[in-house]
Amino acid sequence: MAQAAAAIPQVTRAPARRRHESLVDVLLLAPGLGYLLVFMCVPLVQVVLRSFGLLAIGEPSQFTFGLYREVLANKIDRDSIVFSLYFALGTTVISLILSLMTSALLQVRFPGRFIISVLYKIPLVVPSLVAAFLVLTIIDQGGIIARALQPYGLGWPELVHDRYGLGIILVLVWHNVPIMTVILSAVMSGIPHDITNAARNLGASPWQVFRNVTVPLSLPGISAASLLVFIGVFGAFSIPSLLGAAYPTAIAVVMSREVLDRANWGLASALGTIVTALSAVLLYVYYRLIRRQEAALR
Amino acid sequence: MNRSWIMRGAPGRWMLALGFFTVASVVLIIPLIVGVLWSLVDPDAGWFPPAIVPPSLSLANWRAMLAVPEIGQAFAMSFLIAPIVTALCAALALPTGYALGRRQLRARRTIELLVLAPIILPGIVLATGLGSMFIRLGLSHTVAGVVLVQTVVLLPFMIRIVAATFEGVPQDLIDAARNLGASPWPLARDVLIPLVRPGLFAGGLFTFIGSLEEFVLTFIVGMPYVQTLPVLLWAYLGGRSSIFTYAAVVTMVLLVPTIILMFVAERTLKQEYLAAGFGKV
Repeated sequence: MAQAAAAIPQVTRAPARRRHESLVDVLLLAPGLGYLLVFMCVPLVQVVLRSFGLLAIGEPSQFTFGLYREVLANKIDRDSIVFSLYFALGTTVISLILSLMTSALLQVRFPGRFIISVLYKIPLVVPSLVAAFLVLTIIDQGGIIARALQPYGLGWPELVHDRYGLGIILVLVWHNVPIMTVILSAVMSGIPHDITNAARNLGASPWQVFRNVTVPLSLPGISAASLLVFIGVFGAFSIPSLLGAAYPTAIAVVMSREVLDRANWGLASALGTIVTALSAVLLYVYYRLIRRQEAALR
Repeated sequence: MNRSWIMRGAPGRWMLALGFFTVASVVLIIPLIVGVLWSLVDPDAGWFPPAIVPPSLSLANWRAMLAVPEIGQAFAMSFLIAPIVTALCAALALPTGYALGRRQLRARRTIELLVLAPIILPGIVLATGLGSMFIRLGLSHTVAGVVLVQTVVLLPFMIRIVAATFEGVPQDLIDAARNLGASPWPLARDVLIPLVRPGLFAGGLFTFIGSLEEFVLTFIVGMPYVQTLPVLLWAYLGGRSSIFTYAAVVTMVLLVPTIILMFVAERTLKQEYLAAGFGKV
């Protein structure tokens, strides 16, 4: 059996055979990658071209930076970018703090740990609209907390449709803490216990171990999780569109209005290009960081 | 023996368990219970503040699923689109997943980046591009158009899961089948596909539920003629008009399959399939 496997010629390959092999590769990759090329790359290129005034719908095409100038000149568009950056950053920071705590505590064995490790993943599979509804029933003005406080004469602050997007951040945190916790727990469970035990035996307090051992050793996971959440939240549409105030609105909401209400594909494309470019830059930075870490480890 | 470094005593562990369960019940269990209660509110009595529980319960909202045409239609639409998207994704992902999982590819990094892109790209950007493209192709506001856009965002998960499964197939089995004279097609049908069935099942489940939940692309491309359950939920949650009781019913319909997925995934499927689907960017 083993001899038979070894007998398969894999050592010497004639050029004809190599050409045949790469043809097989292309044929096998064609369905999936071809689909993505046609239905993802082509529209994406169209968005970028359209943001520069090319491929315009319903008006003459010509290369221009006019749409970007329009975005920068328009206070609504400008504020939507700032607002999206604001709640994306807020969500990422709050989620990171909460999931660092959660995943560090999940490393401890405690009664019912299995149930908790299943339960905390529920928001992971919950659609964001459902998450919005579930959190809305709790924190809205007519929600359970407000109702519970009412008999004691206590008011409940306006958290939904508020200027500071607190409702948006709350739902996004609810949704993203489990995603981060999954990544961080996986990284933290890979840290050898010898290291943490050694630190403890040398007299470090649990907090010192967490700060000086666990967090630095989890950095690859921390950066990956933060980037993933930040990019996902920056372009989020459904939650900001439901829980956001009339002003300022998220960049995705402005885009959907341009598309659906005004059929202004050019402006939506310019905003979309800004979102995509920012995501691409962040991903590039992330890959560079990973490379450097790998190099340092070697 | 003692794996923990945060707390070493038994009381500390019980305290930790208590803390975790308190947070879980406030953050997860209570919202779910309140959601179920909203779906059972008696429309004649209503549920107004400061009542903590509804004054009377009824199944009227659930009957509305049959009585209100748009809910029934959205339900039918969602469950019509999901199997088509799943089948399309499986058919496209099988060969590509095989190539990614088993063959030595030259531009592997680029290909992997291409497969990862739809997962990372904000849905609204894709929706803007596909929306204008589909208007030109006459696919806007059609079921076919919605199937195609949902496939764009769900195919990457399927490809990654299938590729991870193919990677785990022992080379011995393939060599043995080849040595016994199997040509490529019977090899695929009788050896490879049965061996990757668990991964295909995991990916299929993931895709099916992903299709039921997909909102942004369906919303931009399908509006207003193709209405799936999430589009309707958006409308009931205040996108069009606020109807909390119907929203609760649609929420429950969307929640049940996802929670089933969770338990199936946790019990039977290997974690690496889901890890392959979700991330490890």
